[in-house]
Amino acid sequence: MARSLSPWHWLAQRAAGAAMVWLSVSFLAFSLSTLAPGDPAQVILLRRSGEAPSAVEVQELRAQLGLNRPFLVRYARWLSGAARGDFGRSYRTDQPVLDELRSRFPATLALALAALLFGVVIAVPLAVAAAAAHGRALDHVGRLVALAGVSMPSYWLAYMLMLGFAVTLGVLPVSGSGTLRHLVLPALTLGLGSAASIARTLRASLLAELGEDYVRTARAKGRSNAGVLVRHALRNALNPLVTVSALRFGRLLGEAVIVETVFAWPGIGRWMVESIYDRDYPAIQGFVLYIATVFIFINLVVDASYRLLDPRVRPGSLAAGS
Amino acid sequence: MKARRFAFLLTTLFLAACARRDARHSTRTLVVAYGSDEFPLTLNTERLGRYPLNANICEPLVRLERDFSVAPALAERWERRELNEVRFHLRGGVTFADSTPFDARAVAGTLSQSARTRTDYSSLSDSSVRIIDDSTVDIRPAHVNRRLVEQLVHPTYAIFKPGSDPARSPVCTGPFRISGYAANDHLTVVRNERYRGAPPRLDTIVFRFIPDETTRTLALRAGEVQAIVDVGRSNASALRARPGIRVVTSPPGAVVVIYMNLNGAAPFNQLRDVRLRRAVAMAIDRRSLVEQVLGVASASLVTTVNPTVVLGPDALLVHGIDFDTAAARSAIGGRRRAMTLIANPGSIDHATVEFVQAQLARVGIDARIEQLDAAAYESRLNSGAFDLDIELPNQNDANPAFLLALRWYSKSSTRSVAFTHASPQFDALIERALSADTDLEVRRAAAEAMHQLIDVEVGAIPLAGISRIYALSDRVNGFVAHPSRLNQDWSAVWLAP
Repeated sequence: MARSLSPWHWLAQRAAGAAMVWLSVSFLAFSLSTLAPGDPAQVILLRRSGEAPSAVEVQELRAQLGLNRPFLVRYARWLSGAARGDFGRSYRTDQPVLDELRSRFPATLALALAALLFGVVIAVPLAVAAAAAHGRALDHVGRLVALAGVSMPSYWLAYMLMLGFAVTLGVLPVSGSGTLRHLVLPALTLGLGSAASIARTLRASLLAELGEDYVRTARAKGRSNAGVLVRHALRNALNPLVTVSALRFGRLLGEAVIVETVFAWPGIGRWMVESIYDRDYPAIQGFVLYIATVFIFINLVVDASYRLLDPRVRPGSLAAGS
Repeated sequence: MKARRFAFLLTTLFLAACARRDARHSTRTLVVAYGSDEFPLTLNTERLGRYPLNANICEPLVRLERDFSVAPALAERWERRELNEVRFHLRGGVTFADSTPFDARAVAGTLSQSARTRTDYSSLSDSSVRIIDDSTVDIRPAHVNRRLVEQLVHPTYAIFKPGSDPARSPVCTGPFRISGYAANDHLTVVRNERYRGAPPRLDTIVFRFIPDETTRTLALRAGEVQAIVDVGRSNASALRARPGIRVVTSPPGAVVVIYMNLNGAAPFNQLRDVRLRRAVAMAIDRRSLVEQVLGVASASLVTTVNPTVVLGPDALLVHGIDFDTAAARSAIGGRRRAMTLIANPGSIDHATVEFVQAQLARVGIDARIEQLDAAAYESRLNSGAFDLDIELPNQNDANPAFLLALRWYSKSSTRSVAFTHASPQFDALIERALSADTDLEVRRAAAEAMHQLIDVEVGAIPLAGISRIYALSDRVNGFVAHPSRLNQDWSAVWLAP
């Protein structure tokens, strides 16, 4: 039997869990980035002078950046700064990492949201049609389409969409940013993968709901198949859709790395890739923590939304993990 | 009902976004696809429009011609006054784009800024420029540097107006001036109506930053851009076959070179043995590399710089090591060797590295390829943890001894030179080149140093000369590719309707 918790207790418990996850991520982000081969002091000096630096210069800069201090000391200093929103300055650009993140994150967020919108808009009709035609040709075709969508590498899909919509039809731009037209192809590239994933989950969820007693009752009351599917089964199948969509949204932020590079979209992903190549530790650590914070927040919101979407779910049962 | 309205709204939005735009072509605006935007990087923040993308907004005192000779630009003439001092006579009647007269103060201001942001290359310091009068300056580097004039062609020394912001809106004398910049998106320049020379035929050039090479290619095919800077070799072949697109190549301005670890510690000390170095050189068939791997716009070379333009007839002093697998096997002595092979990930493609590996395997050398990203590669290079390193050095100034002095001269400030520096005999030749008075003397000394390095000591193996590749719409006219991308001139380009 699930222990009953008040909403405030539930929220406190979730926040404590989120804080632990946040701390773990911060430690991993900090330690893993420093394990990668390559000396940031050397890279910075190379950037500054355009020529390979001397050993003395490298040592001096290492001391200046505190890279010679013990690992835990560096971690503690970084963490206390991060908790106040100070991720340090980028080695590559000498700008505050938070400013860099803030200036680029809106573009990535817009891309991920548009991709998610595309994904849901494509996935829901596909899943409903497949569930309605369970076991028939349409269902098989839908599953094949979904499988293809999940399997396609995003960069390949991006090139295909560019070839089709920009080179052949000439109706959308190949790359760039600034208008709604520029958003369509990158969002579609990201969204098609999500659509496939969401459609598969929603179809399975719908099929499970269609086997429930309340569906049989609705049918016995004379409801049409479409009415039962959309008004009853779909509503109850929305919980997994919300979960998958939220998880996809997190993944979209990560997958945007490739799509942003291919479409020259000025988001956080491209910046991240370049930061990794240059061992820009503050940027890498700041990015990981920033994304983790967004992810944790989304998960909290999703958990809370269950209650709104499905009256059967109560905070107490969620807390007990049922 | 709500769902239908929502679907209708989405469809309308999608169709609106897809609506075909006016397809008429402008003849006044050229859109150029360029790689990543590197201006925001620390070193380049105060070089907007000058370096690494030279948007032709500023001019240096002297400029680099396509044959790597030095020509007057903002300086009409110059003369060496002492061992380490050059007097420049500035061009009269020149104004900046905002109509301020150009004079010696601008030279002093720009070169002082260069000295502050770029270390130990030309040996300039804050006090290197002495203003004699409005149209005359003396430049004296902090250390003896007889190759100063050849180095000042580099766009990092292009002159901007004192008081203008080199990071956001540099005001210069070039054929174009900056009209807009959005980091990681585009740099737009418009015609400078006050330009001293022939006015540019274009009103506007938009340099669009598109990091992905295939996307750049597709943008050209879609007509979104009319030119691509630095096309990859595989895409160049495909583009050649496309109607409406031209592929233009420059004379070679870069050379694929194998650097050897001449002074490494165990286990990277095998190549201290000159016989083994010679065996490596004999194992590689340069002609096959060019014909089978590099293909378009590459040429087999035996020198570390383009010999015809940088060294002239003296290049004949360098013979290179002939391809001879039997002699290579014999030099190795019958037992298999294991080596570590690294390559610059930013400039060397994997096919070239694998070709070298395969060639070495045929003579009994098992080269293990280390796939590294840029930072890991730099780390390996500077710690000497390699036997062979493949790079693509570029020649962007007029000093024929530049690369030799940078990478094999024991007194170079480059950290990896600890592992690549050649013999004292080579050093002596480099010092002769660096202190030579005339072009002929410097070319001769550089050629002798190259002969010493390549033929005698086998400290480096030049593999192939590499040209810059540009892809242009058929509408683009007047474009002449420069072997140094940093010195590419866009002012004569025009667009047909």
